[in-house]
Amino acid sequence: MSTILDLHSHSEASEDSRAPLEAYLNWLKLRRAERPVDGIVLTEHRQFNRAADYRALEDRFGILVLKASEVETDYGHVLVFGVTDEMTRRFDFTDVNLPAARVIDEVAQMGGIAIPCHPGRPNVGLCEHYTRKPPLENVVAVEVLNGGSRKGEDERSEQLVRSFGYAAIGGSDSHLVSLIGLCATRFAHDIRTIEDLVRELRQGAYKPVDFRPRRNPVAQPVAEEVK
Amino acid sequence: MALNYDPALIGRVFENTDPVPVSAEMVTNFCQAIGENNPLHSDPEAAARGPYGSLVAPPSFAVTFRNGQHFFQHVPRFGKQGFDAGKDVEFVAPIRPGDSITLSSHVKEIYEKTGRTGSMVFVIVRSTLKNQRGEVVAHVDHRFMNRP
Repeated sequence: MSTILDLHSHSEASEDSRAPLEAYLNWLKLRRAERPVDGIVLTEHRQFNRAADYRALEDRFGILVLKASEVETDYGHVLVFGVTDEMTRRFDFTDVNLPAARVIDEVAQMGGIAIPCHPGRPNVGLCEHYTRKPPLENVVAVEVLNGGSRKGEDERSEQLVRSFGYAAIGGSDSHLVSLIGLCATRFAHDIRTIEDLVRELRQGAYKPVDFRPRRNPVAQPVAEEVK
Repeated sequence: MALNYDPALIGRVFENTDPVPVSAEMVTNFCQAIGENNPLHSDPEAAARGPYGSLVAPPSFAVTFRNGQHFFQHVPRFGKQGFDAGKDVEFVAPIRPGDSITLSSHVKEIYEKTGRTGSMVFVIVRSTLKNQRGEVVAHVDHRFMNRP
């Protein structure tokens, strides 16, 4: 059985989001036909909320909720899946200049996986850092589809994947309720826990999926003039 | 970049304003200014039959109470540029005509983040509004963004 997860979202626990988790899940339930995601991963900025327990909401809405983190590094923002106490002891998640190479390697050694997100974004994306610094080693995947991307940013991310052979994921990067689930990742296998997710992300049987609505073609008044 | 500030300033109250009396006219003027026509805020008779038992100010009235003239001297700055990045308001209890509101402020939080446009330092100043009985009516978090 395949699983579709929105791997990048922010609840009101992040300082720049006003979206309660319950509202996210309610919205996904209402929009099931357009955004058929089985679950979401809360990747709060510069923190990991170990104590939060979302099982009651998961049961109520029938949608999986997993917890991860988005940290800031010297190579841009990075999603950390499978966060452990050892990771939060070893790295100060509030530091906006964490060493990306160490984060990627040591998170992997501690049983997780670190994935650079929105690499095509100015300042906080991998592409721009690669123009000034040597490429990172041991990157498994990057986020190619990001719901918050502006024109050209996802295209730069796709080019990065083609150049370096990384696997690709998608996530909405939602900070607002109505944006949840717009981009996601389709996994070949069933995922029920964060351990399942880390295992699947390492194995690479997944691809990004885009549920963003396409705009209707604009009428072409020029064609009328040509007539 | 390590942020350079005295951690002792976090939580230290630097502002206590004099009480500001709230009149029915102030509430009425505010309602007119923002186009509020809910009778709970504009019609004393209807408000008397409502859940609060009397006229109450609209929730956003809480942001009309100003800090003192030396407020900005106490807000830490990082770099030369910055702007007001918005307010978060937690409404705790209604404000009524006849109340006297005092406001006390402290630096709640300082943090750094990076975005599309580069590094930013955010300073959050929390103002707590109390009525004449010492009851908290609202918390207003002022968010200031600095460009280091």
